[in-house]
Amino acid sequence: MITIDSINDWFIQNFGAISIEQVKSWFIYNPDEKLLFNTGLFLGLFLVFYFVYAFLRKTFYLRLTYVILFSLFFYYKSSGIYFLLLLLSSVVDYGLSQIIYREKKDNVKKIYLVISVILNLALLGYFKYMNFLIVTFNDMFSGNFELHNVFLPVGISFYTFQSMSYIIEIYREEIKPTKNYIEYLFFVSFFPQLVAGPIVRAKDFLPQIYEKLNLTRQDVNNALFLIIGGLIKKTVISNYISVNFVDRVFDTPMNYTSFENLMASYGYAIQIYCDFSGYSDMAIGIALLLGFKLPTNFRTPYKSTSITDFWRRWHISLSTWLKDFLYISIGGNREGSFAGYLFPSLFFFGLLLWGITNYTTSIIPLIVAISGVTLFCLSFLLSSKRKQTLVTNFNLFTTMLLGGLWHGAGAQFIVWGALHGLALAVHKIFSEFFPSKKDKSPNFLWKFFSILITFHFVVFCWIFFRARDFQTALQVINNIGQLTFEPENWKIIVLGYKNVFLLMLFGYVWHFLPEVLTNKMKFVFDKTPLLLKAVVLGFVYWIVYATAVAGSQPFIYFQF
Amino acid sequence: MNTKSYFFQSFAIVALAFVAFIGFKQILPNKIFSDSKLDSKNVLIDSLLLESVAKDSLSSEDDSISESNGKQKIVYDKTGGIEFPSETFDNYKGYQYLISFYEKLYQLEKNPQSKVRIAYYGDSMTDGDLIVQDVRVNYQERFGGNGVGFVSITSESAASRASVKSLYSKNWKMQSYLNVKRPVSPFGVNGHVFFANNRSNATWVQYEAGTNKFSTTLDNPTLFYGRSSKSGKVNFIIGKDTLKKSLVSNSLVNTLKVTSGSIKAFKASFVQSDSIPIYGFNFDNGSGVHVDNFSQRGNSGLPISMFDASVMQAFNNTLKYDLVILHYGTNVLNYGTKNYSWYEKGMTKVVNKIKESFPGVSILIISTADKSTKYAQEMKTDSAVVPLMNAQKKYALETESGFVNLYTLMGGDGSMVKWVDESPAKANKDYTHFNQRGAKAIGKLLYDQLNKGYEDYKVLRQKRDVNPNKRRAAGRVDSVSVKTDSVNE
Repeated sequence: MITIDSINDWFIQNFGAISIEQVKSWFIYNPDEKLLFNTGLFLGLFLVFYFVYAFLRKTFYLRLTYVILFSLFFYYKSSGIYFLLLLLSSVVDYGLSQIIYREKKDNVKKIYLVISVILNLALLGYFKYMNFLIVTFNDMFSGNFELHNVFLPVGISFYTFQSMSYIIEIYREEIKPTKNYIEYLFFVSFFPQLVAGPIVRAKDFLPQIYEKLNLTRQDVNNALFLIIGGLIKKTVISNYISVNFVDRVFDTPMNYTSFENLMASYGYAIQIYCDFSGYSDMAIGIALLLGFKLPTNFRTPYKSTSITDFWRRWHISLSTWLKDFLYISIGGNREGSFAGYLFPSLFFFGLLLWGITNYTTSIIPLIVAISGVTLFCLSFLLSSKRKQTLVTNFNLFTTMLLGGLWHGAGAQFIVWGALHGLALAVHKIFSEFFPSKKDKSPNFLWKFFSILITFHFVVFCWIFFRARDFQTALQVINNIGQLTFEPENWKIIVLGYKNVFLLMLFGYVWHFLPEVLTNKMKFVFDKTPLLLKAVVLGFVYWIVYATAVAGSQPFIYFQF
Repeated sequence: MNTKSYFFQSFAIVALAFVAFIGFKQILPNKIFSDSKLDSKNVLIDSLLLESVAKDSLSSEDDSISESNGKQKIVYDKTGGIEFPSETFDNYKGYQYLISFYEKLYQLEKNPQSKVRIAYYGDSMTDGDLIVQDVRVNYQERFGGNGVGFVSITSESAASRASVKSLYSKNWKMQSYLNVKRPVSPFGVNGHVFFANNRSNATWVQYEAGTNKFSTTLDNPTLFYGRSSKSGKVNFIIGKDTLKKSLVSNSLVNTLKVTSGSIKAFKASFVQSDSIPIYGFNFDNGSGVHVDNFSQRGNSGLPISMFDASVMQAFNNTLKYDLVILHYGTNVLNYGTKNYSWYEKGMTKVVNKIKESFPGVSILIISTADKSTKYAQEMKTDSAVVPLMNAQKKYALETESGFVNLYTLMGGDGSMVKWVDESPAKANKDYTHFNQRGAKAIGKLLYDQLNKGYEDYKVLRQKRDVNPNKRRAAGRVDSVSVKTDSVNE
């Protein structure tokens, strides 16, 4: 009896007494406590789930159903009753995909495809963009429409895109539909990538369902390595620097010095990378532990030597999705289309309008607007294949505009997309004039400056992405513009935010580490014995825990 | 190939890691990224606060905060025949002590040509004219008045202030009561003193009216400067005109009108005016309510006790303050102490200094707002907030000042977390400062409480005027006394 008592004591000492209430709270939706991969609750639930999963590995439908149930529970914990929306949209999409597959006539097929795309986008549009549209309309025509009280279901942008990929691929006859609804639902609701990607393509994922479930030693190594990296990136670097520094500066940029604004911009660049890629890595790692291989989503994007390169390394699953289903659909580099011309024209028209209306207060907006338009026009006028480049650039620009909007409903996301679209066009014409030599790699200096310029352009665009609104973004940029060289003051600031700056430095050093070194680290990790791996993972849990409980840094005003 | 082993091995690793985590949790410290103590030399914080805190930690004085009985009744003596209903310590507002201010408002309401002036002293919460501009607009909306009031020459938050835009040359020499004990010349009413000491380059400041309601012009811009043995020159540049004036610095506080009437912008360029203490410019249209924002980042409020009373009286002769608001607390929350008797003592001195400086003025103490700190993994109301708020209430009561309990006014326990998380957010992620939207809400809450007192005052005043004559009209008296009862509840 003594042993049971002492175990009980030990348990209470370490976890606290567990009440019925607490147990209930583990299973009931709480909008303030989402079930993220980096929470203790997820770890606990996953351990139980995984144990049973290992026993089910040789079954098929039982295993699929088991995972689906866990996924739905996982989604319920994040979005409450809206898990029904996920179910509903999956039933509709599955039905439509079946019809499209069976239909022989191309025209009819197309009609069903259009219906399904409209349905999906309407759903996404209502939840994500309704209020944005209302606000924009009210602003432009001084309307008085009331805002809807819309809850944004977690991950709706991701699973909508995923089910769209399934239908479009069936339409394009790239894949065969799943044998039944269960298999389809498994694909759409698969919890590792459900709420934050990567956006898995049906043609990559579906074949894996039918394969014999397999998990090699190497898979486990890869998975653990990804999870460890992801945890550190997401919960340590990203969360800490955002709460303790970046958020504050972007809240009220004018209350901080130019140097703090600049550092907050760099800070945000590493924060958003660590946030997105860290969560993706965890998702990929967890999927891998279940025996599923999801595609890589980030390949050290800030090492890009050009903006085109950047989009091959940043959020790869999204950019390939946009390329395959948006860019190609509106004509790609072959032909122009109504949509391909509409959005850029609207954007540039709006830009010029903005410049003209602000002309009385400042001429700068007009200059920015005119140079934007001119730059875009030059990007195809100067090209030797004028017609084709024009089409390509318009379609590319549309893709980036809508891609920007996908990230969030707000003008600043459109601006962010437009900047990237413009940069892609400019880079295209630049490489036409200065083609890179294929046979030999560029010299070090050239590469260094390419990376430096690309990185700073990306950071500049992130300012729009992060700022609460367009006005705040301009404040940050203005403030940075007034930066003067005052190393003494910089030192004081850096010391004042010591932890934040150390983490930022750690993040960047890790990011820019040569691949050879990261591969070495991976190699060493693979060779460590099982027990030691567990200890390393346990240590990382502790770091995550200790960061989560670390008090936030009190606000500081410096004096110079 | 046997896959069994790897699923279970992989499970074993995750499970063992969990066990390892429990182990690490026991042997390793609880936190990383400890809150490192900053070199206070580089951080904007007032020196008197640091001294008081240091002294406090030395004295072995036991916790002298006698848990004052919250239900204890506070009964007022009549002031000018007016007596506000008694209240409890818990709900202390002290309208009784604002009577002279309310009377001035009443006179203003009857005669719109007269004026009422409020000095609003604060810390970073009121930086960039946050909160204060909303109080100002609320008052000017109801009682009239145009202009942003007194504005310093330079300020670390000038860039973020929208109610008046100011730019200034970099060669101003500034001394602040925050960290200077013996200024070259006494501090102005704003707690600062500026010198245009550069002989080779012009030292200038430029103001432009902002877009706030009732402040879209600079009304009767007037320079305030102090005494000096030397004289100096200043050029006022309005549009294309330049007015050359000389600075006669005979009195403790001197004024020089830039121009009469309302202008949009002007520039003041000081030439050879070294050693003349310069304080700032005042913008008001001469009637209605005017609210001066004297905010200073990092201020605990204690430095006000260093004011030179005679200089302040000289300021008061021109500006004529009716209410002084002291809005502090944010900067005294972070010292790990919950015994605020030292702060109580210090601030009592401050209030006494204000009384000496601005004779007959009403004083209003605004308590600290809610502020959150992370406990375990959750943001909660900092444990120092309530003790500080109580200390502030105590010195408000003891010095016969009005009191606004901003902590309960904004929602009490846990309210800051709500203000931050709300969409759109009303406070910043430091869980301390309000943003524009939140400041507007706070400004309204403050105004509403002050105004409630004023409305009550008007009723009481009427009752006083009516009662002696109509004592016989029993019915009327009854109805009034019933009213009083309901207030008493």
